[in-house]
Amino acid sequence: MFLPNVLAASSLVSVQPGLIFWTLVTFVIVFFVLKAKAWGPILQLVEEREKQISAAIESAKRERAEAEKLLADQKTAISEARRQAAEETRRNQQEMEKFREELMAKSRKEAEELKLSARREIDEQKTKAIAEVRAMAVDLAMEVAGKLMSERMDDSKHRALAEQFVKGLPLSGSGNAGVRRSA
Amino acid sequence: MRKAMVLFTCLFVATAWASASGGHGEGNEPSVPDYILHHVADTNDFELEVPLSQPIHLGAIPPIRIGNCAPVMTDHGLVAPSGWSGLMGGCLDLSITKHTVMMWLAALLLLATIFIWSSRDKTKLVPRGTGANLIEMLVLFVRDEMAIKNIGKEDGPRYVPYLLTAFFFILFMNLLGLVPWMATATGNLAVTCGLALCTFFVTQAAGIRAAGLGGYLKHLTGGVHWSLWIIMVPVEILGLISKPFALTMRLFANMLAGHIVLFFLIGLIFILGHPAVAAVSVPFAFAIYLLELFVAFVQAYVFTLLSALFIGMAVATGHHHDDHGHADDHGHGHSELGPSHDHGKAHA
Repeated sequence: MFLPNVLAASSLVSVQPGLIFWTLVTFVIVFFVLKAKAWGPILQLVEEREKQISAAIESAKRERAEAEKLLADQKTAISEARRQAAEETRRNQQEMEKFREELMAKSRKEAEELKLSARREIDEQKTKAIAEVRAMAVDLAMEVAGKLMSERMDDSKHRALAEQFVKGLPLSGSGNAGVRRSA
Repeated sequence: MRKAMVLFTCLFVATAWASASGGHGEGNEPSVPDYILHHVADTNDFELEVPLSQPIHLGAIPPIRIGNCAPVMTDHGLVAPSGWSGLMGGCLDLSITKHTVMMWLAALLLLATIFIWSSRDKTKLVPRGTGANLIEMLVLFVRDEMAIKNIGKEDGPRYVPYLLTAFFFILFMNLLGLVPWMATATGNLAVTCGLALCTFFVTQAAGIRAAGLGGYLKHLTGGVHWSLWIIMVPVEILGLISKPFALTMRLFANMLAGHIVLFFLIGLIFILGHPAVAAVSVPFAFAIYLLELFVAFVQAYVFTLLSALFIGMAVATGHHHDDHGHADDHGHGHSELGPSHDHGKAHA
């Protein structure tokens, strides 16, 4: 019973060249059919899909970066605008302050000038008035003097004064006067 | 789980009953080892194994022989030459055997499955449905985990169709062997030898393609002095042959062993002659059957992975020789025993 088994077992490990041939033929046919009809298209599709996925990921990344950049730009633009607005306001305020100060200074100056001119006017008027008063006083004095002179010229003292006055007069012009006075 | 338990019980009852009734027809029945060896052997005539009785003969395909095939006288009488001795005499025996038919059946099933599952709307890049997804998953697995990892990113995709065909073809032959009344074509040395030869040819082609014919032949000499070629060349050729030989034996032994173990576990009931043995052997056989399902995938995977590894080695040899040449040109002026030399020797 053992020997036939061994013999049968030896048939198990015998390699039939015919079967090798059929295996090669079958394999080659299956290989070419599957390569042409299945593996090729499937692999192509897979590669296409991988390409698309990687492209999609790539573009998503790019778009995200772009969006982030845009957002950052937007943010900086907003802060810039805000800063500018603040500066503008500040500058406006400053300008207004300056303007007001200028206005104040100007009006103060004007008021000062006005006051000054008024004072000058007053001074002028005062001087004028004083001069006038003085002139009037001289006139009055002259008149009074004239009147006094015409009425009390006989007094010896006044006579001497008048004579002294006449003596002091210029020769040509005052001779007449002296004559008139002495007459 | 409940299904598995029902199946289990059925198996148990059936085998117990079989062993009980098998006791009547003793003497006429073939012994368990005979039965098993007959089951896994490749034969010319086809039969349907019927449980508990003689197999039904389905007839035999007439043998196909090419060349000078006149019957010769042997110890068993006048028989037609077959096998390698027949081939030496100029007769190629191309008879269609059980395993040939199983191989063709697996090939047809493979083609049908792949075509049905891969026929989808090609304009849509995303697969829909179980089949299409499964195929794509396996295709991607073979491409990314085997081809690209072992052969490289540039050369890997070129060998993907070969690896895919090898993987699916072996897988289908392995799985077909687990279907009742079918046989395992990969449990036959000639079939695994044919498959390994494919890998061998592809590997050599890859080596020649990567290194050029000159570089390929130079690699065969191991990069030693010409006077040592007479030793080196046979060693290198032995190295080339040992790889497909390992592939052949691994696949054959794994597929055959699983089936033999499975049958022996069932046969244990008949050998020991008591139905109670079924309580042990049937669960074991069931577990082995599940293991065999797993092994069918694992062996297809291993064969493909090793093929990818061998192709990757052949491709790397070509690239390595280029590098080696440059290193030699560079290192000649400086030292005889540069690191490039050691590297070359280690590789050889």
